[in-house]
Amino acid sequence: MNTVFPYPVLTGDITLEVTAVKLDGRPLPLSMISRDHKVVALHEVERSRWDEARLDLRVVLPEKELADGPWDDVACLAALTEASTNARATARLRRSDAGWWSGSLVFHRDAHLTRASLTVAVAATVDGESGRLVGMAEESWIVELDERIPARKQELNIHETDFRNGSETWLQTFQDAPWVVETTGDMPTVHLNTGFEGLVDFLNGGGAPVERAVRGMLAAQIAAEAWTAMFNAAVGDLECDDEGRPQWPTGWRDGVLRSMLPDVLPDLSISDALMEVHLRLTEGGWQELQPRIQYAAARRAKTPKNIANGLRAMSRDVETER
Amino acid sequence: MVEATDQRQDFGDWLERQLRLRRMTQSALAEALEVTPAAVSAWTTGRAEPREDRKRAIAAALGVEEEAVLRRAAQVLPPSALNWHHRPAHRDGGREFGNAAAFAFDADLAVLAREATQNSLDEQFDPKRPVRVRYTLEELSGEHLRAFLDALQWDEIRPHFEASATDRHKVGRVIAEGLREMTESDSLLLLRVDDYNCTGLTGPDYGDDSKFAAVLRDQLNSHKGRSTAGGSYGLGKITLWATSRLGLVLVNSTLSGAHEGRTSRRLYGRLELPWHSKGGEDFAGLAGFGETDTEPGREGTARSWWADETTTRSLRLEREGRDPGTSFLIVGAHDAAGDAQTLQEMHEKLVRALADNFWAAMTSGRDSRPVLEASVTTLRNGNVVIPEQRVDPAVHQPARTRALSAYLNGEAVEQRTDTTQVAVAYVPLRVPPEKGAPRKESAEHNAVLLVTAADDNDREPNRLVCMRGNRMTVMTRRVTDLPLGTDAFQAVLLAGRATGSDAPEAHAAEQFLRTSEPPEHNDWTKTEDLVTSYVRGARQRIEDFRKDMLVAVRVLVGRRERVKTGGPAVLRELLRIDAHTTGARRPDRYPVVRHVEGSVDARGAWNVRVEVKLPRRTDPWSMTPTARFEVRSGSRPAISWAKLIAGENCRVEQGVLHFEAGATSASFEGVTEVSSHPVTGRMARVVVDLQKGR
Amino acid sequence: MSTTSRDLPEQIALLPDVVASRYLTHSVLAGRERPPQLALIRGSEPMGTPAARWTVEPLRQLIDVAMRRHDGDRATADAWLAPRLHATLRITRREAADTRIWNFLAMVVAPDYVLWRHKGVTKEGDRATTDRFVGLHYKQTFARLWWAAELFRDGDDYEPARLACENQDVLNTMLRLAVIDHRPTARAVVRLLEKGLVRTGRDVNALGTAINTAAGTLVYDVLAPDEAPDADSRRYWIDEAENAGPVSLDNLPFGPDDGCVPGDSVDELVRRFAQLFAEAPVRGKEEGRIGTGRSNEGVSLDKTYSPF
Repeated sequence: MNTVFPYPVLTGDITLEVTAVKLDGRPLPLSMISRDHKVVALHEVERSRWDEARLDLRVVLPEKELADGPWDDVACLAALTEASTNARATARLRRSDAGWWSGSLVFHRDAHLTRASLTVAVAATVDGESGRLVGMAEESWIVELDERIPARKQELNIHETDFRNGSETWLQTFQDAPWVVETTGDMPTVHLNTGFEGLVDFLNGGGAPVERAVRGMLAAQIAAEAWTAMFNAAVGDLECDDEGRPQWPTGWRDGVLRSMLPDVLPDLSISDALMEVHLRLTEGGWQELQPRIQYAAARRAKTPKNIANGLRAMSRDVETER
Repeated sequence: MVEATDQRQDFGDWLERQLRLRRMTQSALAEALEVTPAAVSAWTTGRAEPREDRKRAIAAALGVEEEAVLRRAAQVLPPSALNWHHRPAHRDGGREFGNAAAFAFDADLAVLAREATQNSLDEQFDPKRPVRVRYTLEELSGEHLRAFLDALQWDEIRPHFEASATDRHKVGRVIAEGLREMTESDSLLLLRVDDYNCTGLTGPDYGDDSKFAAVLRDQLNSHKGRSTAGGSYGLGKITLWATSRLGLVLVNSTLSGAHEGRTSRRLYGRLELPWHSKGGEDFAGLAGFGETDTEPGREGTARSWWADETTTRSLRLEREGRDPGTSFLIVGAHDAAGDAQTLQEMHEKLVRALADNFWAAMTSGRDSRPVLEASVTTLRNGNVVIPEQRVDPAVHQPARTRALSAYLNGEAVEQRTDTTQVAVAYVPLRVPPEKGAPRKESAEHNAVLLVTAADDNDREPNRLVCMRGNRMTVMTRRVTDLPLGTDAFQAVLLAGRATGSDAPEAHAAEQFLRTSEPPEHNDWTKTEDLVTSYVRGARQRIEDFRKDMLVAVRVLVGRRERVKTGGPAVLRELLRIDAHTTGARRPDRYPVVRHVEGSVDARGAWNVRVEVKLPRRTDPWSMTPTARFEVRSGSRPAISWAKLIAGENCRVEQGVLHFEAGATSASFEGVTEVSSHPVTGRMARVVVDLQKGR
Repeated sequence: MSTTSRDLPEQIALLPDVVASRYLTHSVLAGRERPPQLALIRGSEPMGTPAARWTVEPLRQLIDVAMRRHDGDRATADAWLAPRLHATLRITRREAADTRIWNFLAMVVAPDYVLWRHKGVTKEGDRATTDRFVGLHYKQTFARLWWAAELFRDGDDYEPARLACENQDVLNTMLRLAVIDHRPTARAVVRLLEKGLVRTGRDVNALGTAINTAAGTLVYDVLAPDEAPDADSRRYWIDEAENAGPVSLDNLPFGPDDGCVPGDSVDELVRRFAQLFAEAPVRGKEEGRIGTGRSNEGVSLDKTYSPF
């Protein structure tokens, strides 16, 4: 750990659990809450309209440590935030006789867009200073507004659509392309053109070893392009602070850079590497970086493995035909 | 409790026994009373009963109190009338080196608690009241030990133990070890198992219809009391003897129905030794402690006796009140599994075993009482070491207990919306008709399936416990093939009588499931019995039932719809943006801060001590240490150093740290420049990093 | 260069980033060419059922007045336009988080305003930067005004928001900080401006950094509890857009009456912030920059956005 507080803080675990959810007073099935993934999914087929959600929370604090330590007026606060709507809903939790803290956090659909984050902070008076942050939940929860499955979003969007006749008119200009990678917005999207004959069926299909091997090569090619596009977008979108230093991004850009920078500039720490790619982009040297970016993207797309498997399968197929 | 249920029968038995005890013939009595021998014979066989005045005369003739004749009770015997009786070896010279059945069980305290308590449950007397079982561990030493051994007539059996303690066979080694430890530590461990509100060991000393005989006379006799029983006093009773290092168990039973006109303090002792030879005489190993039997053909054996309170207390067999039931005292108790050595460990093991096996029987609804109440106490020479601990199922099996009580309270829901809730569903079991039975249709029984969230510390989640009868666990199944992201749960299936239903279908299901159980009663499977007892298709019904219950669990715990695939799997796999969190992590190829500690000094400057981890490299490293203040959002303001002090393996030159070549760790200290703080130091947390020197 | 209402679509539509970005050519950014309006409208998705609040005309009128009244000092248009934009475009935060609305306003409804307000000297020449057309909520021309009004208003009172927008550093610095998502914090910052304790741009930046840094050790929500805004009142205010006339050009309009920020909480934070600001050592320095003075120092990692 490379961070220090100017006063003693809790070292024990702080765990947060969502025990129940109500939408407009009606309880949500427990299957929409995943304690394992720490995700709540609020989208329900039967109930697309709701205004108010209520999360019942239970928090376990290291009570013994708290009791023995230098902390007074301990408060336990849950906060639900979403950066894209600048929303912040909080709830003070109360300590029950059973030894945990509980309470309900209410928030409104109108104040949120897609994904809110729920966490818990413990505040206390330390050395006479009130309201000091002395602990936070080990892991935060995710509240998904548009998901039906309470699972962490792990991959980017893959959107199968007919570029010529789909609802996104802008795709019409790409109607002869098999796929397009879009890197704006909340999550990058790979648009697969169902109007491109055979493509989507082939990608979704099963088939003989050779067919599978070719599919692997095709998928690797799409993925490598996607990773390259995402890397370029993530670097291009970097926000700088007043002194021109790039700020570490959030969301998918964070994931992409963390995944690829160690392969792009392996001898630099990840923060030095970010600074370096930013300088290369703004002050020259970007071209020289391209092979490194392609290499990093190919590693993410497992291109070497997929091509090797593909070639092997095809040569075996040729041999058996003889 | 009614003392004598069948007076006519009872008087005859009583009279015959009195005569035998006094070695007095029927004609001698006839003579003394001036009646015909035929009249006496009619009394002893129960064909007639004497008038009241005649009974008084009989009392005088026998030399007993009139009251004894009127109540026709057996006599309470003084200790002096008690003896050990050893069974001589078989004439054919066959030798048994220990009760064969005893080896069928690990003499494990957990197994004992399970088997003995199950026996107690099977013998419940008043179905409206709980069965109470109480386990008491007591260590005796010194005076207390000697008093106990005296009451037991230890000196009489000691030579037999010594003769049996041999390293030629396993039982001999166990006995030798028991004796050695008793001598060396001058202590003996007793484990008493009491049950209350149970039938007690009723019936005569011998015979097929006697619970007493079933437990204490015969081996491997499964005397079945009720149809729900998993085999009353079956193999389970052997665990009592197997738990004793000396093969010695004493019994005191309070009977629910009188025998020989009495109900309280029926005592007996039974010792199971291997074949042994003592003083030129061969012994089979089995011995009884009690009254010398004088019945023709049974001479030289021991029969149970009615004890006085003093003897009962000295044998540490006294029971509480008059509630029927039995106390077994295991002399020289041990845990052969070996994981419980101390009194404390044994106590805890018993509590855990009772909770794990009987949480269901101990669980009740708000307005009802449980079937079972259990407790464990630990004593040393009569003094409390661990006070009576009532076994609370909710502590040991929180999820399952919650599931069952929600069901009993009618609070189970179809769909859970809260982690504390319990979901209920019904699993149909179609019970085929029995062969030759009047019922030709299948009976449809609905087994109850309960699901609730597992406790956070549950080490074995996602299990389905199947129960029937008085909520005994038949088997515990693992539920597999669950959708990704299913939260940990516990499930309980109640079938047959365990549902609480008294409907004919429930009884039919109970019977059917029992038939499908192997002798160990630990599975519902396609047994031979099933084929012989039921019409064709019975095996399939069991098969279906097994399958359906798992399907029902998956429905209750699962998500309600399948995941929309979200694009071709082959592509999805390659586009995981959390890829950096999984898979191999490349070791850092650059110096990193491993640890920082520090505080704010009087001037408001941060003083930090920093440890650095260096990757192996022959060239030296040069890095710039940076301090920043943590912020809520955006970039962290950088702080200047007022001072940098080199520690291990480095030197400082113009704000740059030069680490020694080949070193793997280094340290330095830093003091921040107060004038560079954007906020007073004690209001900020500080982050220290290393950057490439520029 | 002016746009007449004849050329405009009647209703606001949703213009995806990917489409808008395509037309942000150098000549559009430099104002030498208008964005291709028809192509952009074709690439937009309609809003669904037409409603008064999606009407383009009242917005366009406000923009025209803003340009007319503030041509002398264009930055002053922000304080005038922000509350009026917010009161005219009555939307939820959920809707406001959809960048497509702001893209449409900047690219289709008022590209001339974007250039009027933000064209300036850059490395690439005299032009507006792309993020004034398509960008983050604290950069995009209209989004930053709407969000400033949303985050700094006190219930239905836009006065604090107007004050906040008078100071460009509040818009540029404070608006991007997550700390002001806590209403008492936002209100307290403006209170310090009202009191004159914080005046210059440098003051505002120093205050922002101090609050943002101290938030690493202080839980403002506990020191200064807020009350959740009344969502029903806000909903009512939005629905009332159907009956609302155009906003006054001279008096401040009223915002959604969803509850004032608790006064005690604001007072507590004003006291705390004033103290933090007074104690901040770096404030005394005449050099405007915070830190070591070396730029391109590298970036800091981990948790750039944390709720605490």
